[in-house]
Amino acid sequence: MFTVDPRSGIPLYLQLIDQIKRAVALGTLASGEQLPTVKALALDLTINPNTVARAYRELERDRVIETSPGRGSFVRSGDAPAEARRAGVDVAEGVLSDAVRESRALGLDARILTTLFERALARWYPEERDST
Amino acid sequence: MNAIAITNLTKRYGAQLAVDDLSLAVDAGSVCGLLGPNGAGKSTTFKCLLALDQPTSGTVAVDGAPVAPSTFEYLAYVPETSALLEKYSVGDHLEATRRTYASFDAARAAELAATFKLDSKKRIGKLSKGQRTAVALVLAFAIRPRVLVLDEPASGLDPIFQRAVLDLIIDAAAGGACVLFSSHQIGQVERAADSIAVLKGGKLVLRGEIDDLKGDEKIVEAIFPSDAPSPNGLASDPRVRRIERAGRILRLHVRSDAAGVAHELASFEPRTVDVLDLGLEDIFLGAVSDDAAYSSAKDRA
Repeated sequence: MFTVDPRSGIPLYLQLIDQIKRAVALGTLASGEQLPTVKALALDLTINPNTVARAYRELERDRVIETSPGRGSFVRSGDAPAEARRAGVDVAEGVLSDAVRESRALGLDARILTTLFERALARWYPEERDST
Repeated sequence: MNAIAITNLTKRYGAQLAVDDLSLAVDAGSVCGLLGPNGAGKSTTFKCLLALDQPTSGTVAVDGAPVAPSTFEYLAYVPETSALLEKYSVGDHLEATRRTYASFDAARAAELAATFKLDSKKRIGKLSKGQRTAVALVLAFAIRPRVLVLDEPASGLDPIFQRAVLDLIIDAAAGGACVLFSSHQIGQVERAADSIAVLKGGKLVLRGEIDDLKGDEKIVEAIFPSDAPSPNGLASDPRVRRIERAGRILRLHVRSDAAGVAHELASFEPRTVDVLDLGLEDIFLGAVSDDAAYSSAKDRA
């Protein structure tokens, strides 16, 4: 269900947090759904169990999941749509930030970037343009 | 509690200093990857930890106590070159281990032997290097040890069996075992371990959680419109490991606060400043490279 790249310079637990938030935002992980145990996910991804446990702890602190002793970890229910939306904003912010950083490194100025962003908006949000 | 605690360990062989004032602790449930070039002191550290060799000074403790014969009831050691008996079969070794260890789990042993496709009737003398490694691993994991010390545990194994070894380490750690293992294969360490200890010339040169190191160790790269300036002040900054200058490019290897360093570099008016992530291999190579020689060679280039 999740994929991480141990060779990357991005800490593994952050990659895992990103993946799980993405799954919650997309609804691949539904509100109230149980997550794999730390051991099961560590074996599934062939990564260290403490790394998985660290990701789960942070997700709990961010109120994306909840853990009850003896039962396991679950996607928080209740305000699930808001949670998912917030998780989605986190993921989108990260992706956009990377794109802007890359563009800057390529020597593009902010004005060109704004044009590119508007072009992307027009392509993927045609309904918003029609309504204005 | 620290399942393994090495404190101020020094080991001399005559005039040669093999381990130099090493302190290293690993907790129960944690996996520490011990990295270093050949001759850095990894195997000597293992020998002193297991009381197979006497430290010149310093102490070692396993589960809070000095290493004694009873320690080996729950500690498993897989040495770099196997200590198996050539004339005896795989099955003989399993049987001898069963008789020696109360914690020997026969079902687990059979399962592990099947994982590594070992024929219990075969004599050790007839096995390949990889198969011998596999036998040593089966014997080690079959006693369900709380502490595992593995010297190059995947040497000679094909990629499928190497992955099986990682699974064994991960499974043991998830069950609360403490694992200290050395490997030249960074790929194994970055998967199975949560922390690393890097030795160079017998000294500990880097220690930390892998994810923390990846979060802290970065390259800040600035590109200038003309020749890159000497960033005075940053050269002696404790956050900066070393500086490379090549034409219009300035690269700072930082050990912490990459964002802060990038911000300060902006005052030199570069065209762009970028923070680049480093994989574990780069972090390791950075830690064992001869800093002075490395940067001066780059400066001359």
